[in-house]
Amino acid sequence: MTIVDDLNESVVLKPEDLKAVYAISLAIAQSENIDSALDLIVIHTRPVFIFDNMVVYLPQEGSSLTPSYARVIGRGKCAEGEIEWGGVIATEAFSSKQTSLCHEKLEGWESNRLFWRDFLGLPLKAGEEVLGVLVFGRFGGPPYTPEQIRLAEFIAAQTAQLIENHHLVERVAKLEAERWLRRMQDEFITTISHELRTPIGFIKGYATTLLRDDTKWDDESRREFLTIIDEEADRLHELIEDLLDSSRLKAGTMFMQMQPVRLDLILREIVVRSTARYASLAVQLKVDHEVLVMADPVRITQVMDNLFTNAVKYAPNSPVMVSLVNSTDTCQITVADRGPGILQQHLEHLFERFYRVPDTSITVRGTGLGLYICQQIIQGHQGEISVSSELSKGTTFTIQLPCIKNKEMALPVGEELEG
Amino acid sequence: MTKKILIVDDEPRYVRLMEANLTSDHYEVLTASNGEQALEIVANQRPDLVLLDIMMPILDGFTVCERIRKFSSVPIIVVTVKGEEQDRVKGLDMGADDYIIKPFSATELLARVRAVLRRAAKPANIPAQSVFHHGALDIDLAKAEVFLKGKMVYLSATEYRILLQLAQNVGTVIPSEQLLRDVWGAEYQKDKEILWVSISRLRQKLEEDQNDPRHIVTRSGVGYIMPVLND
Repeated sequence: MTIVDDLNESVVLKPEDLKAVYAISLAIAQSENIDSALDLIVIHTRPVFIFDNMVVYLPQEGSSLTPSYARVIGRGKCAEGEIEWGGVIATEAFSSKQTSLCHEKLEGWESNRLFWRDFLGLPLKAGEEVLGVLVFGRFGGPPYTPEQIRLAEFIAAQTAQLIENHHLVERVAKLEAERWLRRMQDEFITTISHELRTPIGFIKGYATTLLRDDTKWDDESRREFLTIIDEEADRLHELIEDLLDSSRLKAGTMFMQMQPVRLDLILREIVVRSTARYASLAVQLKVDHEVLVMADPVRITQVMDNLFTNAVKYAPNSPVMVSLVNSTDTCQITVADRGPGILQQHLEHLFERFYRVPDTSITVRGTGLGLYICQQIIQGHQGEISVSSELSKGTTFTIQLPCIKNKEMALPVGEELEG
Repeated sequence: MTKKILIVDDEPRYVRLMEANLTSDHYEVLTASNGEQALEIVANQRPDLVLLDIMMPILDGFTVCERIRKFSSVPIIVVTVKGEEQDRVKGLDMGADDYIIKPFSATELLARVRAVLRRAAKPANIPAQSVFHHGALDIDLAKAEVFLKGKMVYLSATEYRILLQLAQNVGTVIPSEQLLRDVWGAEYQKDKEILWVSISRLRQKLEEDQNDPRHIVTRSGVGYIMPVLND
C-alpha cells in the first residue's frame, strides 16, 4: 500500500476529463439528494476513468468507517461486488488524510482478473476535516496512471463538497425543527395561560359581584351571573381534562376501555346532545344501518364532541354534515362543514400537539390540544383520522375505524335491552 | 352629575361584568367591543373614564391608549392580565392613568374607578382665568389646559395632577411618597414605578432637553421640584 503524495504538478487534464469534471460539478450543484448526485458522478466518471466499483465510506458513531454508498459497474458484473470493497485502503486514506493506493496481485492473477486488484482511496476533505473516503476499485488492471489519480482527486473534492452541503442542509433542518418546537411551546404557554385565566376571571368577577353587600341584584341578574359561573367552571374543567388527556397520551398511560359498540346509535346520541348544547349548530346526520365496532364509547364521544365544538368555533353558522358508511371491514365517519376552510399549508400540522392555525382570532378560544387528542384516540382504536379542506368551501374530517365482522358478539353498548 | 364610563373589551362576559357593577353604582355605561369603536366613542361621546382591555384583536389596548392621548386627556384604566407585568408599565407609558389586573373582584374594580375619577376631578378653589407661567410652560388652571410655547399639550388626568402639585409648590421639593399619596391615593404610596413612568412621560411632553429638565427636576432620594426660575 502506498500513499500518493505530491503528484507531478505537470499532469494536465485531457479535454474529455475536463468535460467530465464540469458535468460532475454541475450535477452536484443541481442535485438535492446525495445518492442521486453520486449516481450522476458514477455516470460522468465512467467514460473517462475505468473502475469496477465505487464506494463512499463515512465515519459512523464510534468513528468506524461504514459504506454509505456503493455501486458495482464492473466489467465482470457482480463477481467484483462479492470480493473486495477496499475497506483497508479507506481506513488508510482516512487516517493519513492523503490519497492512498493499493496494488495487489494474488496467486493466479494471470488466469483470474479478480486476483489483480488496484484500489484508490481518496480522503473527502472539507478544510482540515476528513468527512469520509471515496474508493475506486479496479480488477485486472491496468494500474492507475498519475493522470487518472489526479482526475480522481478532482472527483473526490467534488464529492466532499456534496457531502459537506448535505451535512449543512441536515444541520439547518435540525435547527429549524428545534426552533419550530420551541416556538410552539412558547405559544402554547401563552395560549394556555389565557385559556385558564379567562374562566377564572369570570368566576372571580361574577362571584364577587354577587357577594357585594352594598347592592341587591334582581332574580334575573342573579340567575344570569350564576349561570355564567357555572358555565365557566365547566369550561375550566374541560380544559383541565384536555391537558390531562394530552399528558396521559404523551406518556402512554391512557387506556381504552374497548367493547362492542353500535356506532350509529352513539352518533345519533352525540348529535342530539351537541345540537341541544349549541343553539347555532345544525347537524344533518346520514346513517343508514347498524355499524358495530370495537371501541371505547367515552373516547369516541369525546372525539365527536371535539369535532362539533370545532365546527361551532371555526365554521360558525355553517351546517355540519355527518355521515357513517361501512364496507366489509372498515367504517367511515365524515364530519363536513361549509365554513371558511383552512389553508393547505396548515393542514399537515393540524393534528400536532399545541398546533393552532396562525392568525386565528384571539377571541376564538383553543389550546391546540383537541385534534391531537382526537388523533391519538382514533389511532388507539387502530383507526385513522384525516382532514381535507378548501378555502371558502369548508373542511371535512374523515375517521376510519375497523368494523366487527362477527355479529355474534356480546350486546353492544348503545343498544337498548329489549324485553 | 352622572359620570359616563366607556368599557372596551372584546369578551362580552367581561363587558357585562363591568357594566352590571358600574350601573348598579349609578354610572352611565358605554360599551365598545373593539379599538376602532372605542376611539369613535371617546371622540363623540366624551366619556369621563375609559376602562380599556389590552388584549384585543386588530387594535390592541396600547395602540388605542396612545391614539386617545393624541386628542383627549380622559382618564384611562387599562385592564391587563396577571403575569403580564410588563403590560402594566407599558400601559402607563402609553398614557394610561391606572391599571387593574384580571382576575379582579367587583369591589376592586369599583374602588379603582372611584379613585381615578376622584383624581381627575378638577381641583377646587382655582380662580377663573388664572394662568400659571413657568418659562415656556403655561397652565390654564381654569380650563385645566397646558401649553408649551403657546402650543397645547395633551396630558392625562394623572399627569396634569402631578404637574399641578409641583406648580402649586414652586421652589419646594415634594417627596415621591407624597406625590403618590396625593395624586394616586394612599394605597399607591409605595408604587414608585408608576410615578417614574408618569414623570418620564411628563418630561417627554414638557422638557426641551430630557437630560437637563427645567420644569420638573429630580432631587435624588427625596422627590421632585419645580424650581424657581430666575429669568
